[in-house]
Amino acid sequence: MDSPHSVPASDFLVNNKRIRVLGLSFDDAVKIFFGGNAVVSVVVLALITYFLFQEGFGFFGQNHRNLLTYRQAGLEYVDFIRTQESGHTALTRYLSDLRLRQYNRLTIDQKQSSAAANQSLASFDAFAAQYGDAVEPIRGLVSDLTEQATAIKTKFLIAEDKKVERQQLLAAGKSAEAAAVKIETVDFATELKVLTGTLPVYKETSAEFAKRLDVALTNAPAMPAPELAARLDRFRQLTREYVATFPATTGSLETWDYARPVPWYQSFTAFLFGREWLTASFWQDWYGIVPLLIGSLMVSLVALVIAVPLGVGSAIYINQIASMREQRFIKPSIEFISAFPSVVLGFFGIAVLGQFLRWLSQQPSLAWVPGFPFSERLNILTAGCLLALIAIPTIFTLAEDALQNVPKAFKEASFALGASRLQTIIKIVVPASLSGIISAVLLGLGRVIGETMVVLLCAGNRIAIPDFTAGLAVVTQPVHTMTGIIAQEMGEVVRGSIHYRALFVVGIVLFFLSLAINFIAQKIVRRYRISIG
Amino acid sequence: MVTAPMTALTTSAFAMDIGTSSATPPTARPVSTVPTPSVTAPTGTPASAGPILIDIEHVDFFYGPSQALHDINLKIEEKKVTAFIGPSGCGKSTLLRCLNRMNDLIDGTRVAKGQIKIRGVDIYERSVDVIELRKRVGMVFQKSNPFPKSIYENVTYGLRLQGRSNKADLDAVVEKSLRGAALWDEVKDRLHTSGLGLSGGQQQRLCIARAIAVEPEVILMDEPCSALDPIATVKVEELIQELRTRFTIVIVTHNMQQAARCSDKTAFFYMGKLIEYADTRAIFMNPANAQTEAYVSGRFG
Repeated sequence: MDSPHSVPASDFLVNNKRIRVLGLSFDDAVKIFFGGNAVVSVVVLALITYFLFQEGFGFFGQNHRNLLTYRQAGLEYVDFIRTQESGHTALTRYLSDLRLRQYNRLTIDQKQSSAAANQSLASFDAFAAQYGDAVEPIRGLVSDLTEQATAIKTKFLIAEDKKVERQQLLAAGKSAEAAAVKIETVDFATELKVLTGTLPVYKETSAEFAKRLDVALTNAPAMPAPELAARLDRFRQLTREYVATFPATTGSLETWDYARPVPWYQSFTAFLFGREWLTASFWQDWYGIVPLLIGSLMVSLVALVIAVPLGVGSAIYINQIASMREQRFIKPSIEFISAFPSVVLGFFGIAVLGQFLRWLSQQPSLAWVPGFPFSERLNILTAGCLLALIAIPTIFTLAEDALQNVPKAFKEASFALGASRLQTIIKIVVPASLSGIISAVLLGLGRVIGETMVVLLCAGNRIAIPDFTAGLAVVTQPVHTMTGIIAQEMGEVVRGSIHYRALFVVGIVLFFLSLAINFIAQKIVRRYRISIG
Repeated sequence: MVTAPMTALTTSAFAMDIGTSSATPPTARPVSTVPTPSVTAPTGTPASAGPILIDIEHVDFFYGPSQALHDINLKIEEKKVTAFIGPSGCGKSTLLRCLNRMNDLIDGTRVAKGQIKIRGVDIYERSVDVIELRKRVGMVFQKSNPFPKSIYENVTYGLRLQGRSNKADLDAVVEKSLRGAALWDEVKDRLHTSGLGLSGGQQQRLCIARAIAVEPEVILMDEPCSALDPIATVKVEELIQELRTRFTIVIVTHNMQQAARCSDKTAFFYMGKLIEYADTRAIFMNPANAQTEAYVSGRFG
């Protein structure tokens, strides 16, 4: 034992008593367990993404066929004339507005009774009725053509269905039954003759229509006030401009050709820039995301306008000013907001907040606020206020972290130079944590844009682009959102239908939106992180 | 600024109420159970007395319940360099931070007894404006901490706080301060680049420039060289020698050679007590106290 060489080699084998199951040691098993968990989440993510895209991309082919049918069945042709008709409808609304102004002038300014006011407006009513009736021949034509075009479309769709049926039978090996399926081929050229044959009639009707409008205008009664007279002149001007568009409509009808191909990109542009989301329509379905996208963005914007000052402000207060006791109370309170299920918040929004805001808007002393009073209980504002509640905990927590990460040394140096607390916050702490605060706001935005339940319950669910000419009052209008529409319609669509796939594409847009927001938030944090040497 | 009477502090409208000076002495005792060393009476007033700027009288200081300073008596002379030395936790940094009330930023701290007077004004008086105090008593920290702003903005920060925004005026102060901190030649071509892009030693000199830009009367330095390499340390020490002609400097250091090289007076602290205060030469060559002798000769600490 006096030489180191005499130590037996077997004493040094420290590892020979480990238990192995299936050739795996305990460490290996632990490693596989945790690694397995990670793999499962990655696989699930990949599967969801794959599913989303696989279901979504089919939409564009279907939408292309949808648009093609719209043209081939002559619906597009009829819609040219329909647009002309709806232009007239807009003008009659202008007349109604004019009547209301006169009526108010009589009853409010001149204190007449409503009967007397109506009586003195009789000549105006006669004029308005004449103007309104002028469109009747066009309206009749549109109605007839609508029926015919719908018939062609139905015929075509039935033929398409039969084709699918035969194919399915063939695939199932039932060739006899397949042969028995009768497919009526639709010859668009012949079918559409009925439609396009009405062109001379249309020309006549349109000329007649223009004449009637002209006659009606000459019968317009004199206005009692210069302000109203100016409006009537404006109306005359609008009518002249309107009539001036008739030749263009005639031109579109003359050059229209059912066989003109629909370019492939149109199914994308019709989705991305489409201003209408119209489903299960007897006439034509439109899948345009714009009203939903604007709805989502408007609601999120209102939410951020409320949540950013509150979230960042309270983070600054808690982190920089509050005493320990205040911190212990306020911090959990704000974080507790996120414990509310969003459906409860939505419920609260319908039952309490919506009512309250409407009541508030109807207070005479608040009439100066843009958009007040409003009658829609559920609108952008209501949903935005509630989404702000959802965003505040996210923004607060992350912004507070960002402020916490500002080195104490900066604050001390600032104080040592004679800065007050407020100066230190504004000049040192907030600038140093600005990247973190911005990314907190962005992550808050990501949180609200993906929120579903609150907007479904409280945004009003009207699929229309809000009227931005109303200025700030736009926030009192109802909208529908991307998340809301998926939640509302996914349950009732036929699997594999164009509508079903359209909802998936909306989902993809949401996915990319969230992805972009998160990506930018991370980029900002990395880019502007301050490194302390 | 240098000659302005300190009494101006009390007249400010922004007087802060912290109530430290009127607090009753707490009942707690020092946390340490090590028997307190036998101490001869602290030599509070050294022989060669110049004009006294800071007068510390019978100061007891507490962090919550634990007492960090015990009955400190110290007179700091004007336009001299005074070094505080002692082992870690002896209270030298605490005393330093009392001089511009930086300890106010820490919850639960208080000066329980005694007074700290600068030019005869008790700085813990209720009517004292802390912000005004800190303009007069600048500070340089252990770890260089330039703001994440440009060099120019770092130097002008204190001036902008005072509302000075004349460009020519600020430019002049930036040059004067950076020259004063022996940094001008190194950074004059990149004044508008980030202060964080400088080397450690340059950053520390930038912090000194930032402190002297507001023309304080006193500069407190809390181990200003402990994070620097020897070459950067030499530069900062040379700088201190130049600054002593214009400012009263109080420096905390762990490095006894540094204290010996830079300072005119040295105070030795141990366990929250001032053990010995005398001319630096006397402390290092001929200490009156046995513990001081043991510490400066490297036998403990």
